[in-house]
Amino acid sequence: MTSTSTDPRQLSARGPDLAVEAVGLCKAYGPVIAVDDMSVQVATGEVYGVLGPNGAGKTTFLRMLFGLVRPDAGTIRVFGRTWEDDDIGVLDGVAGFIESPRFYPYLTGRQHLDGLALLDGGHPPELVDEVLEVVEMGDRAHQRVGTYSYGMRQRLGVAASLLREPRLLVLDEPANGLDPGGIRDMRALVKRLAARGLTVLLSSHDMDEVEEICDNVTIMSRGTVDFHGTIARLRTMAPDPGYALATADDTRAQEIARVFPGLRVGPGHGTGLTVVGPRPEVTAYVARLVQAQVELLSFTPTRTPLEELFFMLTDVDADRAASA
Amino acid sequence: MTTTVTTCPLARPTLRAVLRWETFKLRSQRRTAAVLLGAALLPIPVAVIIHGQARPPKDTLFGRFATDNGFALALLILGFASQWVLPLLTAVVAGDIFASEDQHGTWKTVLTRSASRGQLFWAKTLTAGGFATLVLGLLAVSAIGSSLLVVGHDPVTGLSGQIIASPSALRLVAESWASMLPATWAFTALAILLSVWSRNPAVGIAAPVVLGMVMQLVGALGGIEAIRPLLITTSYESWHGLLTQPSFIGPLVQGAAVSAVWTAISLGTAFVLLRRRDITGG
Repeated sequence: MTSTSTDPRQLSARGPDLAVEAVGLCKAYGPVIAVDDMSVQVATGEVYGVLGPNGAGKTTFLRMLFGLVRPDAGTIRVFGRTWEDDDIGVLDGVAGFIESPRFYPYLTGRQHLDGLALLDGGHPPELVDEVLEVVEMGDRAHQRVGTYSYGMRQRLGVAASLLREPRLLVLDEPANGLDPGGIRDMRALVKRLAARGLTVLLSSHDMDEVEEICDNVTIMSRGTVDFHGTIARLRTMAPDPGYALATADDTRAQEIARVFPGLRVGPGHGTGLTVVGPRPEVTAYVARLVQAQVELLSFTPTRTPLEELFFMLTDVDADRAASA
Repeated sequence: MTTTVTTCPLARPTLRAVLRWETFKLRSQRRTAAVLLGAALLPIPVAVIIHGQARPPKDTLFGRFATDNGFALALLILGFASQWVLPLLTAVVAGDIFASEDQHGTWKTVLTRSASRGQLFWAKTLTAGGFATLVLGLLAVSAIGSSLLVVGHDPVTGLSGQIIASPSALRLVAESWASMLPATWAFTALAILLSVWSRNPAVGIAAPVVLGMVMQLVGALGGIEAIRPLLITTSYESWHGLLTQPSFIGPLVQGAAVSAVWTAISLGTAFVLLRRRDITGG
C-alpha cells in the first residue's frame, strides 16, 4: 500500500537535541528481513512511540539500539554516540528493557538491583530504595523474583532501568501481558517519568496506548516505516469512527440512513449493521432512529479512528484475510 | 544535522565489580553449595569403604596398597577422580555459566548495563576457573586428609618399588593432586566453549564429561601414539613420573603445555562467538 509518511531524514531541522537518530537501518535473519531501511529521530524530552503489529521489526530496532543485535547496514546514534566509536559508552544515560524484563529466579528483587548497580559502576545505596519506592515495590523487594507475578517483574524491570538515572528510557511493549489494572499503573508510571523530563521511547502494538502516552510516533509493518510524525498529524489522517448497530428492524434503519449522506451504513460482520461516519452525524442518526421508534438493541464503537488508521497503514486486515 | 548531546557518563564497572556480581550469583545457587559440599565430604566415605574392604583393588594404580596405606589411597582416589569426576564437577558451573543466561533470557538484562561483553566474558571465565580450582582443592584436601586419618600415614611404596618416607610422600601426593590443575582448567575452558556455543546448560555440563570419556577411550587405543599426548586426559596421568625413582617431570610439562593450548583455543573461540553473536532470545 502507499503509506502517508514523513521522511524522518527531513526532520533534522527539528533541533539538535536528538536522543536517538537511526538512519537506513537494515537487519535480516537469514531470508527474513526484520528491519528494512528504517530511519527514526527521537528528540530529547519527548515520549516517542514505535507502533506496529507483531513481527513489524520494533523489537529488532530496539535490540540494535542496545547493541544486542548488529545492524547489517545503517547507523544508529544515541545522544550522538555510535557503537562503532563508543562501544558500551553508547548506553550512558540510556536504560530500559527489551520484551519482558528477565531476572534470575533465585535472587531477590533487591539483590538484583544491588548486583545490577555493580554492572553500572556503582550507585549510591539510597538510590535502590528510591527506585523501589517509585515502582511501589519496597515491600516485596526481599522476596525471590521466582515468586513475582508478571506485573511485578515488569515493575522491577522499570526499577532496574531507573537505577541508571537515564535520560532516555526505552520500553518494549511495557504493558504486554499485564491485566487492566497493571496496564493503567504502567501507563501512569510512564507519564510520571515523562513529566520529569525523561525521554521515553516505547514500542507497542496498541494504538490506544501510544495515543494516550506519546507525542510522536513511527508506525512500522514488515520491517519498514509506514508513518513518522506527530500524534496530532496522525489524528488528522484518521478515518471516521465506526460502530456496530443492532436494531429490531435493520431494513428500516438503513432506509433512515439515506437521509444522512455523510454516513455509510451497511450490513455488519455477522448480524446487524455497520455505521461509519462523522460523530455528529452518527449522533443525529441514532436520535432519528429513536424518534422513528426503531428499537435499538445495541450500539457499540468498533475501532477508534486511530486504530482504523493503524490497520490501514499496516495492512493488518489484508494479511489476516490472506492468511484466512 | 546531528549534535552530540553532553551526558554525564556513567562510571565504568571494573572487572573486579563484574566478578563480584558473577561470584555473588554463583554463591546464591544451591547447586554450588551442593557441589562444594560433595567435594569436601564424599572422599570420607570412600576412604572408609575402601579401608574396610578385605581385598584391595589390585588392578588399579596404587590399589594394591590402598587398604592399608593412606598415601596410596589418596592417589587411588586421585586416579578415579581424574577419569570423570573432575570434568563433571567443573562442568557443573563452567558448562552452565554462559548458557544459563540464555536459559533465563538474562543476556539482555546484563548487556543493557555498562559492562561490556568482554568484561562479562572474563568475569564468568574467572568465576568458573576459580570454582574449578576450589573444587579441586577441596577434593584434594578431603581425599588426602580422610585417607591419612582413616588408613594411616606409613611410608608408601613408589611406582619403581622404592619406599617413600611419609613427609616426602605427603609432598608428592599433594603435588600429584596439584598437577590436575592445568587439565582441569582445560576442561573448564572446554565446558565454557560448549556453554557459549550450545546456549544449552545440559550440553555445556554433559558434553565435557562425554568428551573426556571419549579421550580416555582414544588414549587407550593402540597405534595413536602421535595423538595421545595431545589429549587433555593424558595430562591427567602425568603425575605418575613424580612417584618413580628417579622421578621425571617431562610429561607434567608437556601436559601443562597441551592443557594451556586447549584452554587458549577454547576460550579464544568462546570469546569470539560471544562477541559476535546477536542476542535475540528471551
